[in-house]
Amino acid sequence: MNKDKIFKLAKGFRGRAKNCIRIARERVEKALQYSYRDRRNKKRDMRSLWIQRINAGTRQHGVNYGNFMHGLMKENIQLNRKVLSELSMHEPYSFKALVDISKNAFPGNKNVVIPPRKVAV
Amino acid sequence: MKMVNAFNMKRAAAGLRRINLDGLRWRVFDAKGQVLGRLASQIATVVQGKDKPTYTPNRDDGDMCIVLNAKDVCVTGRKLTDKVYYWHTGYVGHLKERTFKDQMAKDPTEVIRKAILRMLPRNKLRDDRDRKLRIFPGSEHPFGDRPLEPYVMPPRRVREMRPRERRAMIREQKKAELQQQKTDGTKKGKKREAPEESA
Repeated sequence: MNKDKIFKLAKGFRGRAKNCIRIARERVEKALQYSYRDRRNKKRDMRSLWIQRINAGTRQHGVNYGNFMHGLMKENIQLNRKVLSELSMHEPYSFKALVDISKNAFPGNKNVVIPPRKVAV
Repeated sequence: MKMVNAFNMKRAAAGLRRINLDGLRWRVFDAKGQVLGRLASQIATVVQGKDKPTYTPNRDDGDMCIVLNAKDVCVTGRKLTDKVYYWHTGYVGHLKERTFKDQMAKDPTEVIRKAILRMLPRNKLRDDRDRKLRIFPGSEHPFGDRPLEPYVMPPRRVREMRPRERRAMIREQKKAELQQQKTDGTKKGKKREAPEESA
């Protein structure tokens, strides 16, 4: 009864964890705990991945992620990061238009560039 | 040194196994006069593929990176003599060390390779990314027939000087000016006075 359910959930595990009930029971419990935790982590990981993609896309146009989002917030554009990352991947021209809007709204901080100090070769 | 270079050329050219997909670009980095760590961090982002909007963490999508003039890479401060590479052979008490200067004399490509490898995330893709790096000590490389793209380094953003540093710099500048004035005054005393009076 319960054993069959556990073995069904233990498919693909390594070594004795898929065959022997005592080990399989432990591993399955742990796997269920991980899946509970990761259903909440997945939302965080996906958002982080969208932000990385948007960052890469905007840096190709010379703006970094922080300034870009600040410009969008100023213009009250409420596209979320998921949509923005999809645009940056598949719709480059629309994304460039968004980057230009953001640049107009928020041109960026002043970059202080001082010539570098002595470099030993 | 010539024998080592010939060996490197053959190995670098022939090391293109079909693991790499060929939709990737070939970017060329020129290490001449660049600071070691700053160059390595830019190369690490390119090799990971983090400058493309199609970045996926479980798939290796970085561009092929070719680094030229590896022997002309610079370090600041006293790192030329004081930066030491340590490694342990596994036997008790055998902690080996080698300074930056000796490493450059022995194999200048290893310096950049270590710097980049230690900046990549330690996962299963690290070895594949290592295979995408080709580093050459000079400016010759056997990839002349590929479509190469030179990489333009972004402008260096140095933070503002702290007040104490700024005051020290101003003091040094003033000292240098005073010394110049003294030497100019003592060297050509009479001759200098004549043009000054005329001006």
